[in-house]
Amino acid sequence: MIPVFGSVSISLAASFSILSILLLLFYIRTGDYRLFLSGRRMAMVVSFLVIISTFILVNELISSNFNIDYVAHHTSLETPTIYKISALWAGQSGSLLFWLFILSIFSLITIHQNKNRYHGMMPWVLIVILIVQLFFLILTTFITNPFEATKADFEVVNGLGLNPLLQNLTMAIHPPILYLGFVGFTIPFAFAFAALMTKESGSLWIRSIRRWSLVAWLSLSCGIILGGWWAYQELGWGGYWAWDPVENASFMPWLTGTAFLHSIIIQEKKNMLRLWNMILIMITFILTIFGTFLTRSGVMSSVHSFTQSPLGPFFLSFVIILLFVCVFFVVKNLSNLKSDKRIESLTSRESGFLFNNVIFVTLCFAVFWGTIFPVITEAIQGTKITVGPPFFNQVTIPIGLFLLFLTGVGPLLAWRKTSIQNLKNNFTLPVIISLSSSIVFLFFGLRGYVVISLMLSVFVSISISMEFKRGVYSRVKRFNESILTALVTLIKKNRSRYGGYFVHLGIVLMFIGFTGQAFNMKKEFGLAINEQNHLGDVNLKLVKLWSEERSNHFSWIAELLVTGDDGNIITSLRPEKRIYFHLDPNPDRRQPHSELDIYSTIKRDIYSVFSSIDTDNNIAFFQIMINPLVRLVWYGAYILVFGTLIALWPSNRKKLLLQ
Amino acid sequence: MSQKYKVILTVIGLSLISAFWILWSSFNPVNEKALVKFISVREILNSKNIERVRIGGVVADSSIIVSPSNRMEVYFNIKEGTSILPVKFVGTRPDLFKHGAEVIVEGAYSNGSFNADMLQTKCASRYEGDLRDASSYKLDDINI
Repeated sequence: MIPVFGSVSISLAASFSILSILLLLFYIRTGDYRLFLSGRRMAMVVSFLVIISTFILVNELISSNFNIDYVAHHTSLETPTIYKISALWAGQSGSLLFWLFILSIFSLITIHQNKNRYHGMMPWVLIVILIVQLFFLILTTFITNPFEATKADFEVVNGLGLNPLLQNLTMAIHPPILYLGFVGFTIPFAFAFAALMTKESGSLWIRSIRRWSLVAWLSLSCGIILGGWWAYQELGWGGYWAWDPVENASFMPWLTGTAFLHSIIIQEKKNMLRLWNMILIMITFILTIFGTFLTRSGVMSSVHSFTQSPLGPFFLSFVIILLFVCVFFVVKNLSNLKSDKRIESLTSRESGFLFNNVIFVTLCFAVFWGTIFPVITEAIQGTKITVGPPFFNQVTIPIGLFLLFLTGVGPLLAWRKTSIQNLKNNFTLPVIISLSSSIVFLFFGLRGYVVISLMLSVFVSISISMEFKRGVYSRVKRFNESILTALVTLIKKNRSRYGGYFVHLGIVLMFIGFTGQAFNMKKEFGLAINEQNHLGDVNLKLVKLWSEERSNHFSWIAELLVTGDDGNIITSLRPEKRIYFHLDPNPDRRQPHSELDIYSTIKRDIYSVFSSIDTDNNIAFFQIMINPLVRLVWYGAYILVFGTLIALWPSNRKKLLLQ
Repeated sequence: MSQKYKVILTVIGLSLISAFWILWSSFNPVNEKALVKFISVREILNSKNIERVRIGGVVADSSIIVSPSNRMEVYFNIKEGTSILPVKFVGTRPDLFKHGAEVIVEGAYSNGSFNADMLQTKCASRYEGDLRDASSYKLDDINI
């Protein structure tokens, strides 16, 4: 009986959202405040109904009600409770409901935050949110309803369950974190659109969404990084990024979102780039929907499989409608989006930000181009040309490096105009140090992009440190503070700026980590007991090989003794080859799984995969990789999160003012 | 020239250079693995030798043979519709590689056989099989 309520409440939510949109439109027309109040209340009801139906579905998943098709297809009695819950976003219709759930919570927060603010913009903000909700509500009501009854002419005693390979916590949590990012950009978009409609295109709407954009950006970053980390730890191909369409789908809004975070600083401070910011947030939001289209439509072949569904055309139509609406209203309000001020000089921080934006957007275009290239070639030539990681690397590395260069240049430029004398003062030290570092790198035999990347990393680090030094020393001089107090107050007084610098330092570390890939080594070989093989300066000897039968799988375990060239023991690695469902009489239903073992230091990871075993001759086969500097990517990610949190932390300026 | 035009020109210049770079790279791939043709099994069987190409299909039933002398070496057939292509691959096989799995291989084709240096399995659907009724499923089997 209860599941019916779930179904009813999403249908109700759909009709209420239409009603609410109408009420708000009438309010805008007539100005009768009561209409706004009831429209807003109705919007809250929509969100509550969505939240209720989500809880109903979760409850059905936990209690294994296999009369619901979604529950029967995505869980079984054996599924641990936590994965019964995560099944909410494991399948098509559930994940759409989950998307709505997050959006509804965001909607309630937005309503609560702005109860007494932005009376002009709020009706439009709510209308935009409601339209997005309505779109997803239509999909979940009419196209893929998560509460649909099981179609079977027998009583279903057990569901299908989740493949044990996917029962992994990181795997389970990275989609919702990504969703937070995807859905999060709806709110800044809604405010942008509201600003456009109310001609309130100054810096007011920017201030109201700075925090939302940061939260969305942080979630998107975390989702992307966690996905890469999971792939690296679990999948056994030794990498964390494959330029797969689904990865690109999350990377594109990240790039434009990052550009947006930078350029809103200019609008906040100087009231410039109004039109540009409007376009950027629109592109970012549309890319989140486009990304969903890419991953759900089956247009792209990807390792991430989603069931091919009839949803593709809906998402594509939504994207096209959004594009039209956005272009129409931007053009209509063009005069209102013009800034009264101009950038005054090529060597100003404003232009630095502008160039950074141009590069972010071209980078996004490069990724977009590579992602849809197969579709284009198929349409034009009739043959599909697939695009491999070498293409993406070829195109994006120089653009990425230029971006890294700008990261270093930005802080050295002054607002409005940097005088020649200032340029000399600011650039001399970083340029000298980074150039001399590059000579050292060349001396050690490094070449090409590696040298450029490392040199730029040095450049950016020096330029950021100089920023910190300047700030700290001026405080020490003026207020006679100790260096540490000065540093802390400096950061506290200007959280977004110095938080941003921390993020940049994190990115530098990640770039050094990416650079390490140039030295990746890989070898595959077979070993009998006490035989050894080597890769680079590392020797690997198979000292033990045994098998164990465990509760739900069978495992072959190899012990590899890893020694350096000098004979010193580095570590022992124990990669496993597991077989799940090993008791199944049908060999094709048995599921092999390579459990990797990675020895990780800052310098390098030694990555071992148990590939195969020849049980007749007791020979084990391995794939061994040496991946230098991978750890720096994860460390960089920690710093990135830390920096963003600093920028997000509420400042107590109000308190200071009151005192 | 005023500063305003310098800024605008730099922006236009940067965009043009990047656009040119992206287009140029699309016609001048850095190596043979950057841009690869994806053709059907039927098409490949009708052609002679191809240096590098990508093929997708399903691993034909009971066609997987792992070489007894080298367990890294595997022979199997890829089926697409009614066309069947024999494939050889040396290397670590993905965990999901098995009969009936959807695979993508990349490599060289010559004289009727395919020599793959890349083998990818498509993440099989997470939830396999048909719903089970009481006759095919015993509740006693479950250890929770």
